[in-house]
Amino acid sequence: MKPRHFLALSLVLLMPVMAYAGAAQKPIIDGYMAAAKAENAAFSGFSADRGKAFFLAKHDASPDTPSCTTCHTADPTKAGQTRAGKDVAPMAVSKTPDRFTDAEKVEKWFTRNCQSVVGRACTAQEKGDFITFMASL
Amino acid sequence: MKKFIVIGTFSLVLLGVSLALTEPGNSALPQVEQAYAKECGACHIPYPAQYLPKRFWERILGSLDKHFGENATLSPKALQPIKAYLDSRAADSASGNPRIMRDVAVNNTPLRIVEMPFWIHIHHRMIERKAFDAPKVKSAGNCGACHRGAANGQFGDDD
Repeated sequence: MKPRHFLALSLVLLMPVMAYAGAAQKPIIDGYMAAAKAENAAFSGFSADRGKAFFLAKHDASPDTPSCTTCHTADPTKAGQTRAGKDVAPMAVSKTPDRFTDAEKVEKWFTRNCQSVVGRACTAQEKGDFITFMASL
Repeated sequence: MKKFIVIGTFSLVLLGVSLALTEPGNSALPQVEQAYAKECGACHIPYPAQYLPKRFWERILGSLDKHFGENATLSPKALQPIKAYLDSRAADSASGNPRIMRDVAVNNTPLRIVEMPFWIHIHHRMIERKAFDAPKVKSAGNCGACHRGAANGQFGDDD
């Protein structure tokens, strides 16, 4: 069997698994939910709307990266571009299904980009809102 | 339920096999080079270790929290093998090419490959023509705008 046929066959067989996309983000969302409750006793759940506002907001921490949209563009279903010219796969889970499925990777990028863009660490609620927004698109 | 698990496992194995068969290029790289390409190649091309001296790489790795206007910190676990890799491949390492270090003053630590004398010498006509100011290029550090093989470390006139 040719490699291409292998790939096609495995994708077809994977389809029932892929139908549950979105559930793949649940462990990470659950982790941030526990942390958000610990941070704030009044926490009452994540909000895609708050996540959207956070994503689009302009900050003063750095003139190079004033907003998430500097690199990701204002439309998360589209590919973005780093300041050095490299493509960034869309943030929307519907376009890039393996987004927010690797806890170490997610924390690495929140740590870096929150410092670069917002000038501080993000709260668990901000992270959960952000992922909830990206999973809703 | 059991059926789904069997089908799921079977298809994941098949997908793994097919990906391994269709992407031989990456797996051919030594593991540490893959780690460097993955971590440092996320935002820009993984700039070749051999184009800059050790003291440059040390300075870069020591200031990743302020990396050309962005925070690019790595965990100590991820950083250590990358540091060892860059150290062993730098322009002034045993495996380096002495021509790359030509005209670099001992007390000068270039901040970018595009500040290295060898690079300026090769690209002087492009610099005169202001080719790097074109919107599509964005910056001289965007090697891939002209060198299509840049991501794989190929920078010849035809790459």
